[in-house]
Formats: sequence, structure tokens, C-alpha cells
Amino acid sequence: MKNVKRTKLILSLIPLLFTLFFLSRPVYAETKEFKVGMEAGYPPFNWTQVDNSNGAVKIEGSKQYANGYDVQIAKIIAKKLNRKIVVVKTVWDGLSPALTSGKIDAIIAGMSPTPERKKTVDFSKPYLVSKAVMIVRRDSRYAKAQSIQDFKGAKITSQLSTFLYDLIPQINGVKQETAMNDFNAMRSALQSGVIDGYVAQEPEGISVQNAINSLKMVKFAPGKGFKTDSSDDASAVGLKKNSPDLEKINQILAEISPKQREKLMKWAVTHQPQSHEKKTNWFINIFQKYGSLLWQGTLTTLWISLFSTIVGFFIGLVIGIIRTVPLSKSPAKRLGQKIINGFFWIYIEIFRGTPMMVQAAIFYYGLAQAFKISVNKMAAALLIVSINTGAYMAEILRGGIESVDPGQREGAMALGMSHFQLMRKVILPQAIKNSLPAVGNEFVINIKDTSVLSIISVTELFFNGQTIAGQTYQFFQSFFVISIIYLFLTFTITRILKFIERKMAGPKNYNLMANQIQV
Amino acid sequence: MNQEIFKINNLKKSFGTHQVLKDISFKVEKEEIISIIGSSGSGKSTLLRCLNLLETPTSGQITYLGQDILKPKFDINHYRAKVGMVFQSFNLFNNLSVLNNCIIPQETVLKRDHETAKNNAIQNLQSIGMSQFLEAKPSQLSGGQKQRVAIARAVSMNPDVLLFDEPTSALDPEMVDEVLNAMKKLAEIGLTMIIVSHEMQFVKDISHEILFMDNGIILEHGSPYQIFEHPKEKRTKDFLKRFLKNV
Repeated sequence: MKNVKRTKLILSLIPLLFTLFFLSRPVYAETKEFKVGMEAGYPPFNWTQVDNSNGAVKIEGSKQYANGYDVQIAKIIAKKLNRKIVVVKTVWDGLSPALTSGKIDAIIAGMSPTPERKKTVDFSKPYLVSKAVMIVRRDSRYAKAQSIQDFKGAKITSQLSTFLYDLIPQINGVKQETAMNDFNAMRSALQSGVIDGYVAQEPEGISVQNAINSLKMVKFAPGKGFKTDSSDDASAVGLKKNSPDLEKINQILAEISPKQREKLMKWAVTHQPQSHEKKTNWFINIFQKYGSLLWQGTLTTLWISLFSTIVGFFIGLVIGIIRTVPLSKSPAKRLGQKIINGFFWIYIEIFRGTPMMVQAAIFYYGLAQAFKISVNKMAAALLIVSINTGAYMAEILRGGIESVDPGQREGAMALGMSHFQLMRKVILPQAIKNSLPAVGNEFVINIKDTSVLSIISVTELFFNGQTIAGQTYQFFQSFFVISIIYLFLTFTITRILKFIERKMAGPKNYNLMANQIQV
Repeated sequence: MNQEIFKINNLKKSFGTHQVLKDISFKVEKEEIISIIGSSGSGKSTLLRCLNLLETPTSGQITYLGQDILKPKFDINHYRAKVGMVFQSFNLFNNLSVLNNCIIPQETVLKRDHETAKNNAIQNLQSIGMSQFLEAKPSQLSGGQKQRVAIARAVSMNPDVLLFDEPTSALDPEMVDEVLNAMKKLAEIGLTMIIVSHEMQFVKDISHEILFMDNGIILEHGSPYQIFEHPKEKRTKDFLKRFLKNV
């Protein structure tokens, strides 16, 4: 009878889980706040730190803080607008969609007001003007370059979706490499010799010289550097089209004198996170300094994968049951069944046939942009991984149901059980047991695959790993630690699942003495 | 004359173009034991499965206690609870213990309360000598034990009729008798039974009437004495000769 109760419990959980699901619904920005989007990973413009020292601002939905030139500018603006500043940590490519979909009120992220961007975003007057420079290895032959034409034959890149990348073809005979996602990646690519240099703006150049001894900034004299539109060299505040804030923000920016700006930038360059602070063991150092970040990332990863595996399991179960109902004899009902099954088929094919990363980007940014549906990041993550897992689970459980000996169904039918009764009492308990290894496997896969959610800036383990790498510049070490945590999680969970499977299999022989019941 | 349980008229069943049953007609009365014999592929099992509606007949009539069981709105599940079936491959529920195999169908289909169902199940398992194995899983039992549990499960539903589809064909020879003895006990309490079997001696001893099926028709029927001692048809004689020699 234990089994019966368990099944009843599980079935009664379904509505509860669905309610939970829809409770985590769209969250809209409150008017009193001034939500500013930035990468918080682009020092000295903006960076992430673990405490609130030096006037850092808390990052929304996390225990970390943002600071830097952009943050200080944003604070001045928010104060004069009489609104509360909120920093929303967002990946570079996510900034424009976040703004147009209303997830943030402004982009203050060292963004240049290019004509391309102006099509979707309104920009304030610049709050910083800086020239394009080249970052190279100190020991390379490009370190003494005077003109951009000295980089003939060099492997050069820059950041994806920036005007800097589009400047590269101005160098004759250059080998333009694929654009990279952020400066951290370019720094390590340059150090390792994958590229010979990357185009950046001056503040990044000052920072990188301070942070990494082996790298150097090359500045160009007027006429020898990149030809740019005046808009390209500037950083401006990005606002939603026709924002009523534009006028006021321009006024506020005009009140910040060039001297004050210069002072702020110097302050930012000297206060940005440094790479070589301590000479202790790097492994211990990462755990000591970023333990809370790793722990929080691990918990988020576990929570998303566990929740999504459970919800996905029930989605798969419901679809599996409906898809295995024998076709009705009445033509109308049969048509209905075929339409429903067709709908499930489309769902399964779409979600199994496209990357989860793309699904997350469409759901989080796409829906907001196209239909003005704004969803909380965590809710979006849980929903996408659940629905994605559901598609796989539907196939796993259909296979599980079909793998049950047809004689079981016939035996139950011959006793007069209805489809629902025989499913609940006979087929599903066996199908679920048969599917358990594959279901557990989905859980393990989810632990690893939640890393793609970094695209929508969910602070799971991989995203936090990127943050640590970005601050310490210790790429190998940071991601090594992250992979050990992933391995620990998946290994432990695999053992637990094996143990459960063995328990469920039960003994092969029946012990007459131990099991005898007095009647 | 006893009460009429089944009346089968001009029953036909085809799978695609292959006609398995070609015009079957017979009657079953209360407390009657009817055995169907014949070589493999003659349509015996299909006939039995049509009676239980596991197969839908292509044409013809089947009435049960005067009711047309093939009419569209017929309550199939209620009917199946009254007409039990024992399969060649047992079909015990692998996820349930011996006791629960006998309790759960009573609870779900007949809506009996747990105590009543349990007592009834234990009583039926006891009478076939399986009371020591109440908590065992089907995978822990021998074939003969499984089939006895399957019989107890069917009997626990208190059916009017029991259909047996080659109940001993999948068993090792030394286990056949324990199952046949269980069936004899049911015959003694007067249960109506329709049996498809190759156990000729058993069939001869237990049946009131024997149907010999050949190639989708009932070629010959009569009392065990008539069929076994004085078969009229040549094909019946050939079948019996072949079968009795093999035994």
C-alpha cells in the first residue's frame, strides 16, 4: 500500500508545482528606482566586488557590489534625479534588449553612441571621451608601434558588438580575428599569444597596464590612429527611445566639469580590482576570497537543476500518459487526440532541436522586446530549463511506458480496469522505475547545462566563475575550481541515484521465513 | 435447462485480409465447463479473446446473459469484471506483491473496501496454497506459482465465468499439475469455465462439452466421450492421434 500512497502524493503535487510556477510571474520595474544596466566586468568603467567599500552599489538580486567610473556617474545622476540607484548586472549583448524591454532604465556601461545603436536607443551627451588604443604584449615587436599601419599582418581582435571591432579593417593587411565576448577573454588570448593585440579605449589600456605587467598600451599620435566618428570615442548614457529623463540627464552631465571627470577616471583606475594582491596559494585564495560567491553559485545551480528536473518530470509524465492513450473509436475524439498529440510532437521537436541557450535568450530578451512581456531572470531560468527538460522527459517516459510488457496492460484490462486505473496502478509504477536511470541522467545533465543560463545573467556557478576569473585574471585557476565543483556535484548525485536504483530493484529471492504472515 | 450465459452467433474475426474466425456459433450454460481444442493457428485463442473483448469481432453477435456485448455503449469494464481471464503468460502485475495483485483490482474495479478485499484475497490464495507468499513479488515466484496467483486474482473478483487461455503451455512439465489441480477445485465449486488447452487427459476428465476447432471453424463438438472415443471427422481423428502420440 505504500506505493499507492506515494503515487497519490506525487499526483497531488502536480497542481502545487504548477501554481509555484505561475507565481513567479513578470516583475516590473518600480518607478522610484533608477535601474542602471552594466556588465560590472569592464574595469575601470565598471566592475564587481564582494564588499561595499569605496562607495560601491549593491547588484540587484545578488550579494555582490558594483563600482567604477560608470557607477560613480550613475550615482550622481540618480541622486540629482532623486531616485534610488539599482545596478542590474547584464552581459554586454543583453544591455540593449534589457533597456528596450524595460528591464532597466538606463545603460551606463562605457557604451558609445554609434549610429547603429541610435536606431534603438537614445543617448545622452557623452560623459567621457576616450581614444581608441591598441593593447599588445610588452615583449612583442608591436610594442613600439607608432601608427596603426605598423600592425600589418598582426592578429587583431576586439569586443563583439562594439565600434572598436569595426575599426580593425582600417589597418592594411591586418589579420582580423573573430570578435571576443569581453576584455577578460581578450587579455588572456593576448597573453597566451592567440592574438597579437586588441583594440580598446584608453581607460582599459591604463587598467591593463596596471594589472598585467606583460601587457602594454600603444597610443597613436593624431593622424596615425584610427579614424573614428566623434560619437565612437565617447561614452554616453543609453536611454529608451523618447525617454522623459533625457533632458534632465543631459543637464546633470553638463554640470560635471571635465576636471571632475578626469579625477573620477583616475580614481577608478587606481581602485579597480588588481590581479596580484596576495602571494598565497591561489587555490586557497580563491576559496577564501570568493567562497560565498562559489557557494551561492553552487546553490543556484543545484536549485535550478533540481526544480527543473522535477517539474520537467511531471510535464513529461503528463505528456507521456496522454500520448499513450489508445486512439478512440469515435472519429471526433480521435481527431482531438491527433491534434493534441501533434501539438506535443511539435513541442518536443522544437525544444529538443534548439539549444537551451538560444531558448533562454529568446524567452528572456526576445519576449520582452517583441511583446513587452518582462519576466524575472530567475523565473525565466526555471521556466526555460523546466520546459526544455520536459521535452526530453516526455520522450524518456513514453519509452518507459512502452517498455512495460503489453501483457501487463492486457492483464489489467481483462480484470476490468479503465485506462486511467491501469496506468496509475500498474503501468506507471513500472514505467517510472524503468525510466529512473534516464531521469537521473537528466538531472546530472541539467547541473552542467544550467551554465548556458549565463547568457541571461543568472548568477549560477559558471556565471560566478566568470566573475571570479574577471576579477583575479586567473582564468585557468578560477575555471579549474569551478569544474571541480561541477564534478563533485555530478559524481555525488550519480552515486546517490545508483544507490536508489539498487534499493528499488529489491532482492531476487523470496525469504519464506522472514516474510511469512500469520493468517 | 440451466441459465444461458453466452450465446455466440456467426462470429467472424479478420486481421487484415487473414480470416482467423469464420462463422463460429455456440452456447454456454451456467456451471458448464467447455474446452476448446485444436492445433495451433486454428483460432482458439482469438475466440477466447473475442469473448473478453480484448479483440473486437469483425461481425456476428455475442450475448452475455441476454445482453448484446458488441453494442456501442456497452460497459466493457463492468463486463470484464464478471468474465475473468487467465493468460498463458500469467500477466501478474510485476510492481505489486502477490497479495496486492489480488487486492488492487477488487478495490479499483469493484470498489470493495480494503479489509473485505484483503480477506477475500487471502482466502483465495490460501485455497490454492499460496498463503506463504503474500508479500512476494512475481519475479520471486516459479511459473506454476505465478499461474496459481493469477487464478486466485481472477477468482477474487467473484466472476460469473472464467476464461483460460492455455494456462499451462508456458510451464515446465513438473509444474503443470499444481495449476490443473487448482482449476479442478474451481470446477468442483461449479464455476462456469471456458478452457483452451492442450492437456488432453485433463480436458477429457473435466469438460462437459468439447469444441474441436480447425482453420477458423468449429469442425466438431460433443461430449468428451464422443470426441475422444468416437470422433466423426477425419481431421479430428488425425489431431487426436498426433496429440496423444506426442504426450
